[in-house]
Amino acid sequence: MVHLSSFLLKQYHGGHIVIRLALAGHRQANRPFYRIVAAYNKRARDGKYIEQLGTYDPLPNVHNEKLVSFNFDRIKYWIGCGAHPSDPVAKLLGLAGFFPLHPMTITEVERRRAQTQQTQAAAEETVEEGQKQAEV
Amino acid sequence: MFQVIGGRSVQASRLLAPRSAVLVEAVRGRKSRTDPVAKSKEGRIKTPPPVDPVEMVVLKERFSEYQLLMKSLRMAFKEEVLRKKYEEETGSRAEERAREEEEEHRALMALNDQENLRMLRLRILRVQEQAEKAQRKKLKVLLKQEQGQQKFLKEKEKEILQLQEDAKNFITLENLDQRIEEALDNPKNYNFAIDKEGQVVKQTILQ
Repeated sequence: MVHLSSFLLKQYHGGHIVIRLALAGHRQANRPFYRIVAAYNKRARDGKYIEQLGTYDPLPNVHNEKLVSFNFDRIKYWIGCGAHPSDPVAKLLGLAGFFPLHPMTITEVERRRAQTQQTQAAAEETVEEGQKQAEV
Repeated sequence: MFQVIGGRSVQASRLLAPRSAVLVEAVRGRKSRTDPVAKSKEGRIKTPPPVDPVEMVVLKERFSEYQLLMKSLRMAFKEEVLRKKYEEETGSRAEERAREEEEEHRALMALNDQENLRMLRLRILRVQEQAEKAQRKKLKVLLKQEQGQQKFLKEKEKEILQLQEDAKNFITLENLDQRIEEALDNPKNYNFAIDKEGQVVKQTILQ
């Protein structure tokens, strides 16, 4: 728990509180692990935070799932106190159902779908051309 | 140097045409203001990623909706926080809690007062005893002093009496002649011999 004295000692001018991802300090190469954290905007990403509100593991596990945890009660409290969630946190919360789905998730999915359709169409065309050439 | 990476287009370009052996994204701080542009980038015109107008319209619509929802959510959460705070301060449970705390405080203060009284009584007794002890000691000392004085006086009296008795046998001017004659008439012999066993022999050759 962060002691109240730190609030009194550090005065931020025009700073606000954000809910964002902070790399947890496991210090293993190629193995990231994020904490969902309420911190002052001016602080370093991995620096002193006010409260931890959850975790996010970006690498999929044995059953091919990415695990996320949230403390919804405290998230509600901080957003009620005026905290801003960062984009990745907003996207994760949208996927979880706590927030509405983020527009960028939808657009990214659509773009990916369009891309796969294009490549599929291109592959079909090349297959058809090859068949036509074989016939001819 | 730019660090913002927009969407999938940059990733695609990176995969399709890597210029260097190592895929390095642009990091702030490698080149300073005065460093010249690299040779490979001389004729480069930086263009922002292409925007699809149809998609942009749809996106704007979605974003406006999303922001509306987020605003309403935020206001709802704020209201909940305020309500909780209000309930905690002036709710039904608050009065009970305040009463309980006051009662506890009173009970503790009563206990404290009891303890203080008890300690006070003990202290008074102790102080009394100590005073009495001191008094007794003082009296004892005085007694002893008096006794000592009395003894001294008695000793002195004894000495005086002894002296008075001895004064009867003193040689004065009147007795002088008499005593000289007596002394000359009765010669005293102080010689004696003593053995290792303690046998005393007073008989000697008289002068």
